[in-house]
Amino acid sequence: MTFSFDWGVLWRYRDQLLSGFAVTLSLSILGLIGALAIGILAGIGGAGASRPLRLVAATYVELARNIPLLVHLYIWYLALSALRLPAFLCGVLALAIYSGAYVAEIVRSGIQSVPGGQRAAALASGLSPRQAFRHVIYPQAFRIVAPSLAGLFSQLIKDSSLASVISVAELTFVGGSIESDTFRTFEAYTAITVFYLIAVTGVSQLALWGLRGRAVDPAMRY
Amino acid sequence: MDFSVVIRNLPYLAQGFAVTLETAGLVILGGSLLGLLLGLARSGHMPGVRHAAILYIELIRGTPLLVVIFLVYFAIPAVSGHRFTAYQAAVIGFIAFICAYIAEDVRSGLASVPRGQREAGFAIGLNDRQVLCLVVLPQALRRMIPALFGQFVRLLKFTSVASVIGVTELTGATLAVNAREFKPVPLLTALALAYFVAGYGLSLLGRWLDRRYSMIR
Repeated sequence: MTFSFDWGVLWRYRDQLLSGFAVTLSLSILGLIGALAIGILAGIGGAGASRPLRLVAATYVELARNIPLLVHLYIWYLALSALRLPAFLCGVLALAIYSGAYVAEIVRSGIQSVPGGQRAAALASGLSPRQAFRHVIYPQAFRIVAPSLAGLFSQLIKDSSLASVISVAELTFVGGSIESDTFRTFEAYTAITVFYLIAVTGVSQLALWGLRGRAVDPAMRY
Repeated sequence: MDFSVVIRNLPYLAQGFAVTLETAGLVILGGSLLGLLLGLARSGHMPGVRHAAILYIELIRGTPLLVVIFLVYFAIPAVSGHRFTAYQAAVIGFIAFICAYIAEDVRSGLASVPRGQREAGFAIGLNDRQVLCLVVLPQALRRMIPALFGQFVRLLKFTSVASVIGVTELTGATLAVNAREFKPVPLLTALALAYFVAGYGLSLLGRWLDRRYSMIR
């Protein structure tokens, strides 16, 4: 078997690769912002005292995370095609709603992991329920939640590759188009794999650095 | 909403659903088996094996599923000359992907068994293999049930990605019907519902097994 690699191809397509990488990053970041907005609300609702709110939050979480991301994408892109949303926006919405369910579960379990006595003590010392949440529960929950959220962001970057299926010109899409232009299949897919590894490793290293000394192992809290 | 398009095409869609379930079943079996081996290699003390396992797990966990599927279906044949069918490539890709995640669950499951259990096993005269198979694994596996079923639900959803390389599983079948009839609203609603029922059912099964076999109350 004689197979010769031609990595020079990638240098010729560097502009497309970099723009695909930029689209992947903006897709993931906007998706993350949306997922945080939805997920934090649903997570607080899910951990709250109101029964109807808990039910709404649980329904959203179970519906959103038991349906494949690919189907989320097709729902926005095909079933709601009457809205004529651009493919990129469909990608952001699908990622936000899908990942929002995971954020909600992370936030809910983070809040519930703060012992009930903390809240009782805060209320007893005269804080309003709102202040108790803001100054007592939230800071403790955040330390527990933050590492999981970093993991979720890495997951989201990888998930964003599915947006290529609805023709968003992100990294995987660019890989496919380089492949069909040049037939250098192996080189094209290896290159985009490296880009994803860079992004995911970058996020986890950044999170490690940012959370140094702040994130707390749940077992070590007291 | 008019679901007649779903009912008219039900046999075809049901066939797609069968392919989805079959794929998920194969991947659950293959992924669990490979994941268990990989997790053991990752937790073990053989230096070369351990580092190879770490490298594999980290590489896969940094790569999107779609890219793994493309690598198996397009890139590996370009180098090796051997072509898989789309279905084979999908199953191989899914197993190669999910086993890295299962391996991490296996590792934390093994780590959750208290050291004293292992030491007690050695103290009563069991050898390495007996301690692993009779003492550590049975406890670790029970603790791993929730995490494992989390992965199973995840890979059930992931099987939809096989449609991208042309496997006619549930998503592929639905898209094919949609291409002919263009009724995306009822078709995608039914598609979402089918995945929801299957995924939620699987997670309920996981919860039930966990209640039944869990040792931590």
